[in-house]
Amino acid sequence: MKRKAGGILLSYRLAVASRCLAALLGGYLLASMASVCITLLVPMTPVDATLTGMMLSFVFYLLAFIWCFACRTAARAWLGVLLPSLALALINGLAYWMKNP
Amino acid sequence: MLSVALITFAGLVALCLAMEKHFGELLKRKPKPGQLPALRWAGWALLVLSLILAVNVRGLAFGLVEWFALVMAGLTLWVFGLPYQPRLLLGLALVSVLLGPVLAALGV
Amino acid sequence: MKEGFRQAMAWLHTWTGLLFGWLLFAIFLTGTLSYFKDEITHWSQPEVQRHQLDPAASLGLAQRYLQSNAATAGSWFIRLPSDREPALSVSWRDPNATGRRGFISHELDARSGERVEVRDSRGGDFFYRFHFQLQMPHPWGRWLATFCALIMLLGLVTGIITHKKIFKEFFTFRPGKGQRSWLDGHNAIGVLVLPFHLMISYSSLLLFMYMVMPASIMAAYKGESDTYFSELFGRDEAPKAAGVAAPLTDLPALYAKVQTIVPGARIGYLQVANPGDSNARVTVTQAAADHVAYQRSANWTFDGVSGAQLSQGEPESAAMMTSFTIAGLHMGNFAGPWLRWLYFVFGVAGTAVIGTGLVMWLGKRQLKHAKSGRLPFELRLVEVLNIASMSGLLLGVAGFFWANRLLPIGMPGRADWEINVFFLAWALSPLHALLRPGRKAWGEQLALGALAFAGLPLLNAVVTGHGLDQSIARGDWAMAGFDLTALGTGLFLAWAAGKMLRTPNVQAKRAPRAAKAASTTAEVN
Repeated sequence: MKRKAGGILLSYRLAVASRCLAALLGGYLLASMASVCITLLVPMTPVDATLTGMMLSFVFYLLAFIWCFACRTAARAWLGVLLPSLALALINGLAYWMKNP
Repeated sequence: MLSVALITFAGLVALCLAMEKHFGELLKRKPKPGQLPALRWAGWALLVLSLILAVNVRGLAFGLVEWFALVMAGLTLWVFGLPYQPRLLLGLALVSVLLGPVLAALGV
Repeated sequence: MKEGFRQAMAWLHTWTGLLFGWLLFAIFLTGTLSYFKDEITHWSQPEVQRHQLDPAASLGLAQRYLQSNAATAGSWFIRLPSDREPALSVSWRDPNATGRRGFISHELDARSGERVEVRDSRGGDFFYRFHFQLQMPHPWGRWLATFCALIMLLGLVTGIITHKKIFKEFFTFRPGKGQRSWLDGHNAIGVLVLPFHLMISYSSLLLFMYMVMPASIMAAYKGESDTYFSELFGRDEAPKAAGVAAPLTDLPALYAKVQTIVPGARIGYLQVANPGDSNARVTVTQAAADHVAYQRSANWTFDGVSGAQLSQGEPESAAMMTSFTIAGLHMGNFAGPWLRWLYFVFGVAGTAVIGTGLVMWLGKRQLKHAKSGRLPFELRLVEVLNIASMSGLLLGVAGFFWANRLLPIGMPGRADWEINVFFLAWALSPLHALLRPGRKAWGEQLALGALAFAGLPLLNAVVTGHGLDQSIARGDWAMAGFDLTALGTGLFLAWAAGKMLRTPNVQAKRAPRAAKAASTTAEVN
């Protein structure tokens, strides 16, 4: 990585920082949403559903991390975690509302 | 579980020798046609046998855990020992494949 | 990130590995020690005698002791001696007590029931708690340690993705070839012991998932986490004391009852609620050593006055068995001697994966500066941190044990001072590393570590009556095993120190050749 104009270096560093935040925060959000989604939708007792959701959540966190650094731009990293999180949040909201009228 | 350990070790060595590169390095000759696939079959068969043996003797939970532990231990011993004592380890593998089933029959 | 998936994963592997490697090394090393925490505690408190196990008799002695000393307590706790823990432990909750949250804890001799005066030491428990609490205030240490587990898992997955020849080079290890050998070694102990590494990392996440990933509990239980836990562990609350005096039933008789229900069961502990009251309850819990998975069903509750069985722990669902099994695999309580040693070896392997990674990260970049002999600031920082986190930590561990043998027995705050020595010794490492050139710092610290560890058996023999000659003669293999392992560690560190202190600046000459070799193995950049 050659040190060209300071600008290119700075934008690289900012992009990396952005991806890190997307992975850390966005990934956590995605994992939590996925966890809740599994818990609310899977046909098990509440305790079993909770266990299953929590156990599987980390797979999503891992995938989010991998996505955030594999995708082509930092913007895509954010989109890749926030859009699914939003979709899951909507499903979760609906499922929660249906379970608790 | 000693028999399980020995049979597992023999199986792992067979799988290693089933790779042409290692066969040549360790046995100092070219494999004849059919020897590599035979070693591969033998290797997997020995591993499956040792797994069945482990579960039979120790039950599903303990058997599975101990089998995995023995596989990892055997692999580590083999791979890290090989650059230093290849003949000793090959000898150990030979002893394992012969002694392992005997000990299994005796219930060791 | 534009270069392709594998390259991106290699980048991620390298950078997360570096940034979290120092802490992960500490977690893995202390976690590995924890597999022998009972044995370490035994070495740290040699005053507790090992006896032939007679659980029923010990239980009777415990009951008598508690009756005399804690008759008015609201609850009793009795931990029976086992193969690995020779002490009979009793504790009780007393409103008038000082100490942690009103608990008083005494160790009794398993055969006589007399209280044993042990030197105040946390023993193996210190390393155990450190590896998931990191000596930080609750709950920050657990959060950080659990996050490190996620990074470890990420490191394993990205490592697998990056390792192009994972099957071709499955059995490959080529020593004596510089950077290539370090990479071979790193890959080998990563891949060959991969099931263990994956299990340990993933299970670490599970163990604190209720804390770090609580969203599901919030959603399913509307925030009532107490309900979640009582449903998970399936225990009924003990009734409150009735205020009516009634003698507690004979506890050894209850032990015998459990033996008829599950012949051959080893009993871990008993809890007595409201002893001496008509609403007394006794819960007998099977030893964790009897099952791979934690079993919530392996406990039996009896009426404390009549001795009639009231209930058994509820059976586990499939989801519970899954999570309890994964947790149980992490803890390894079920492991007998040979399997426990393998757990230890695999833990060392995991520690070595991290250590070799840290060394390689620096080694590759150091080559570019071999001719000038001076490292830029960032690399010098990494070098100091590498030394501090690895040889420094080892010096801290040795320091803890030296303090255990040398601090005066009656000294107040003794246990805390052993821990202080651990941290002080560890802290001296980066200071020394800042003042010395890298290789020398490594060599000198490893040499000191070698002396410190190899000297432990001698120190033990001189200060206590439990040296190797005594412990082997008595068949006290926990004590002897500790001394022998310390000796072995000392020898290994001496060998490593030798390697560091000998090879002088052949580095600069090798640089061009090694640089060429490094560039052909540009899998991890």
